[in-house]
Amino acid sequence: MTVEHRGIDDHVGELLSGLVDGELTQQVRQRVELHCESCEQCAEDLQALRQVRERLGKAALSNTRTEQWRETMNDTHTSGVRTAGWLIFIGGLLLAGGAFLLVFLSETSVSIFEKVVFLAIYGGLGLLLYSVLRQRLIERKTDRYKDVEI
Amino acid sequence: MRNKLANLGNGAHALAMQILGNADDAQDAVQDAFERVLRQPESYQPAKGTLKSWFLTIVRNGCIDQLRGRRTTEHQVERLLDAAPPPEQVAMNTERDSGVRAALAELPNEQRQILVLRDYLDLSYNELASVMDIPKGTVMSRLHRARLALKKGLENYDC
Repeated sequence: MTVEHRGIDDHVGELLSGLVDGELTQQVRQRVELHCESCEQCAEDLQALRQVRERLGKAALSNTRTEQWRETMNDTHTSGVRTAGWLIFIGGLLLAGGAFLLVFLSETSVSIFEKVVFLAIYGGLGLLLYSVLRQRLIERKTDRYKDVEI
Repeated sequence: MRNKLANLGNGAHALAMQILGNADDAQDAVQDAFERVLRQPESYQPAKGTLKSWFLTIVRNGCIDQLRGRRTTEHQVERLLDAAPPPEQVAMNTERDSGVRAALAELPNEQRQILVLRDYLDLSYNELASVMDIPKGTVMSRLHRARLALKKGLENYDC
């Protein structure tokens, strides 16, 4: 088989990366290896690609530690406590709001017009809160990672 | 599972840094991925791939989602994805790898990702195709182009 050198940028060059990664079929691997035996340039290119792979593989690309990630994962309990905190806070707020509303509506010194205005303001706020919460719930139910495309 | 995930933390952080270009954002992205996985560990299906590639897919998609969540336009997202990481990443840790990091930082985002996933995290071509959501047939050529670009960059920094 005569395989002339076609340079690192062509089809053979691409196969060199496949050879470096051990991703070629046996037949193709043998063909590329044979070619490299007879082609000095490709042999050099192969060596260079191996060096690039080795250098990158050994480089320190992250300054974090495994223990740090273990601690981070354990810290997810904090998010549970945070959620519980929010629930208690919102629950208390609703109870206080309800009690205040009851007292306010039963107050005879306040005119009906004032009561209606008050209800409109807080009713509107309540609807806004509901829409935000609903949106958040929908987002949580939907897999937001699924549809992300690069 | 927690131990296995913790062992993937550094690699996931390295990948996230390549996409987001910022160590703190990368840390948040990995942490979000941990929380998401630990909330629903049953969503991992071994039949569909390794834990490593599954987790890295979540981290990568989370990073891209984070970029999109910054209320940027599509054009800006593309620009961010192509932007080189800031100097803090390049000037990290040891002097020994500064050439590699600097050369890597000059590559387009997608080339940085594929190189880190293959040469740093040792993913197979199948896993690469799955994580990067690209056809398996294009993995070798893309990886090769990225390696050539990195090789060229390294030559500049080694001089």
